Amino acid sequence: MANRRNEVTALLGGPQGAGLETAAQVLSTAFAITGRYVYSYREYYSNIKGRHTYIYVRISSERLPQTAREYPDIIAAIDAESIFHHFTEAREGTIIIYDTSTVNTKINGIVSIEPETRNRISSLLESSGYEKTVKGALQYAEERGAKLIGLDYKLLLKEFAQKTGKSTYRARRYLNTIPMAATGYLLGLTPGELEKGFRRRFRGREQIVADNVKLAEIVAGYMREMGFKPSPLPEPTNPPDKFLVVSGNDIVAIAKTIAGLRLQTYYPITPAADESVTLEAHENLRVDGEDLGSVLVFQTEDEIAAISAAIGAALTGVRSSTTTSGPGFDLMIEALGWAGINEVPVVVTYYQRGGPSTGLPTRGGQEDLFNALFSGHGLFPKIVLASGDHVEAYEDTIRAFNWAEEYQLPVIHLLDKFLANSIVTLPPNLLPPAKISRGLISTGGRGYNRFDKSGGPITPRAFIGSEETVIWYTGDEHNTEGHITEDPENRIIMHDYRMRKLELADEQIPEEERYRLYGNGKDFLLVGWGSVKGAALEALKHLDEEGLHGAYLHVRVMQPLPKKAISKILSDYGVDRAILVEASVRPLLGRLIPMWTGFQFERFILKWTGRPIYPLELAGAVSHIIRDGSRSEVLRYGA
Amino acid sequence: MALRMDYKTDVWVDWCPGCGDYGILAGIQTALKELNLKPWEVVVVSGIGCSGKTPHFIYANGVHTLHGRAIPFATGIKLANPHLKVIVSGGDGDLLGIGAGHLVALGRRNLDITILVHDNQVYGLTKGQASPTLPAGVKTKSLPKPNLQDAINPLLLALSSGYSFVARAYALDIKHLSNIIKQAVQHRGAALIDILQPCITYNDVYTKNWYAKRVYKLEEEGWDPVVKDPSEREDKLAAAVRKALEWGERVPVGILYWDKTKESLEDRIMRRIPTYTEKPPAMQAIEVNGKPVVDIEKILKIYSDYVVEVGRR
Repeated sequence: MANRRNEVTALLGGPQGAGLETAAQVLSTAFAITGRYVYSYREYYSNIKGRHTYIYVRISSERLPQTAREYPDIIAAIDAESIFHHFTEAREGTIIIYDTSTVNTKINGIVSIEPETRNRISSLLESSGYEKTVKGALQYAEERGAKLIGLDYKLLLKEFAQKTGKSTYRARRYLNTIPMAATGYLLGLTPGELEKGFRRRFRGREQIVADNVKLAEIVAGYMREMGFKPSPLPEPTNPPDKFLVVSGNDIVAIAKTIAGLRLQTYYPITPAADESVTLEAHENLRVDGEDLGSVLVFQTEDEIAAISAAIGAALTGVRSSTTTSGPGFDLMIEALGWAGINEVPVVVTYYQRGGPSTGLPTRGGQEDLFNALFSGHGLFPKIVLASGDHVEAYEDTIRAFNWAEEYQLPVIHLLDKFLANSIVTLPPNLLPPAKISRGLISTGGRGYNRFDKSGGPITPRAFIGSEETVIWYTGDEHNTEGHITEDPENRIIMHDYRMRKLELADEQIPEEERYRLYGNGKDFLLVGWGSVKGAALEALKHLDEEGLHGAYLHVRVMQPLPKKAISKILSDYGVDRAILVEASVRPLLGRLIPMWTGFQFERFILKWTGRPIYPLELAGAVSHIIRDGSRSEVLRYGA
Repeated sequence: MALRMDYKTDVWVDWCPGCGDYGILAGIQTALKELNLKPWEVVVVSGIGCSGKTPHFIYANGVHTLHGRAIPFATGIKLANPHLKVIVSGGDGDLLGIGAGHLVALGRRNLDITILVHDNQVYGLTKGQASPTLPAGVKTKSLPKPNLQDAINPLLLALSSGYSFVARAYALDIKHLSNIIKQAVQHRGAALIDILQPCITYNDVYTKNWYAKRVYKLEEEGWDPVVKDPSEREDKLAAAVRKALEWGERVPVGILYWDKTKESLEDRIMRRIPTYTEKPPAMQAIEVNGKPVVDIEKILKIYSDYVVEVGRR
């Protein structure tokens, strides 16, 4: 096993509804308590119970990993199906923990595997000369260097049932603890550390904690007896005193609270809804007995109502937002135009998933860039920014609210399923202090005109409800008072001034705050956005070790695009060395950048399986392009 | 502009001469005046179409929104600042066709908003197509063929959706209408008034004369709509449902159902957020000199369930 390094990745796999998330949480928390950093990422079907799900838990003694990594060091399977999905991920030294009572299970007997997947795996086993059983799959892995650890899960549960006086049926509910505890044992977690993980997960439910600890002890005892020795991760160097353990959804919820969001609307949709659930669970902002206000989270009847209510709320001066993914955003577009023509600061948090239509509802992608940028009929200004990791998601959430109010326009904050479902142990000091800027505000009063443009494109904003102030808004073209007018000269001013706000944002927001260039190697330049970041940064390191020295241009604001800087950087590298990387079937950023700079990409690395871009496959593809002259590469890692 | 307590603006009212909308506009203005509400405490929210223009003619905050979406915009305004009096003025196509889902949702919530349905059975501003309240088989002069689709009964829909104040009024009886609007605005909860309104240009079936012969006032026949105790709810609701079905020779107007005992959404929110009406979303300080009121240190306490202390449990 590769944990002579400072880090290790364990894959936990099993059926949905069997407590896999709980297992990963306990494991992550236990490691966090020991001062290790954890990055965990989950893949799952659009299904509640029965289909296969898996989590990569990446643990480091040194620093917070920037992404999940392929080729896990440990594959811990709850069931037979997990072996079939993941045996090809094993490499020299990979440990596979499996249930010995499943070795004769045939792949054809597993109904929850989709036929396409079953046929593909069957063909592979058959053509490689293995049985189409768990045993065959394990042999395939073993002959490629994997180490197998077989445990009889049934026997372990029987012993557990006897020792705790549970029925066999009840004991089965603890199945998820077996592969997790075996993983914890191998990675050197002590029973006491694991207990802390359980205690945190099952707050106040001491019996469940005690039962789980008991089972973990049985598993550890068994492993010890079989002669498996733990190989602990190195002690952490200089760990923080605390971690904030957050998913991408959670960090956005937290950042919104700091940014001053006080009203959020939403309609349930994957992978966005968890953000609103997190906010609602922390709606009362009470600290040490002091009431700091509240965040009202409101579930509407659909996404049209969600955005409309968020816009309505914004008219009264509250910082409001709504959160959704592609299908929901599509429904919001008409109202977004209303916010545009009425200069309403509203933030839409947009978690991309695999489309079109319902597409891959629980998988990720980056194909909605143009939907965010070009949504809506007629022209109106909007700012679009995208985050590549948890810290960026935090910063961008706060920037989104500031810019929305400073420029009085809708802001679309793009994230994706990959980030939404990645859970990290974040040292709070990685989060920079927040600044709130509310833009030009008026107290209104008699004679106040909401759309008075005599002072320039941005009119000081008064709120509905201000004393002695009456305000009109309309989705029609309007005059300075907000009343309908179709006058051509009025239209010239109003329509132009609205668009000028975006140009103003382009002038005022420094380009350096809208992109970042990582590395300075001249052999190649990766260009990407959003969740490409983590894989790209790690690929740079791998390639560096192989003697290919590159850089990564990370675009954070897509509108207004930092075009001067991008143009300059791209011309430094040229078409043969600039590689556009995106989780998309056709390169959208690769089409946006030419629109503004004229630079035409000729090298692409794309992935559209709905699974994230992983660092090693990315590094391999870069190498093909730069060393072997390939023009475009398609990535496909991940079950 | 000086503050105008007659609730009139200088915008020319561009409805067809003789339109029922004039009656509704006067009804709203009269009600606001008699309630002595300040123009900045009131928000009139509308959708699209002839009725959508209403806010521009009223000297009070006006939000002219999208087709069908007046209710969700109003919902956001009211939730953010529950001290505002929020009135939705929308067409039958707007509220019962494209926006019907929102109309139902508001009833479920019993949020304190008053809905005025301009019910003229046609889509006026697109030249007279059938609206959701036009009965099947009826051919108004703007339709090439008789209507194929059955009508929605706005009162039944409101009653079954949970509105705690359900009434019908007639646009040309401004005194009666404004009186109902006043009571609806004062009622704490979701209120719906179905306002029968002749469309002088496109609807030659349900005309001023048609209504004049049929409309009668519920209160003049001793109708008691008020639920004073939750135990009366079922009977009063059942009676209101029966009454809502009456249409033809006689058309009742007046308050059909008025549940004064039902909790409003604001009450329900208060149980979760005790400071909600005292410090509603729109009235909270979020920063001091650019520094957030809730900073990361406070977050670590509010989100203590997300914090793991290293070396401790």
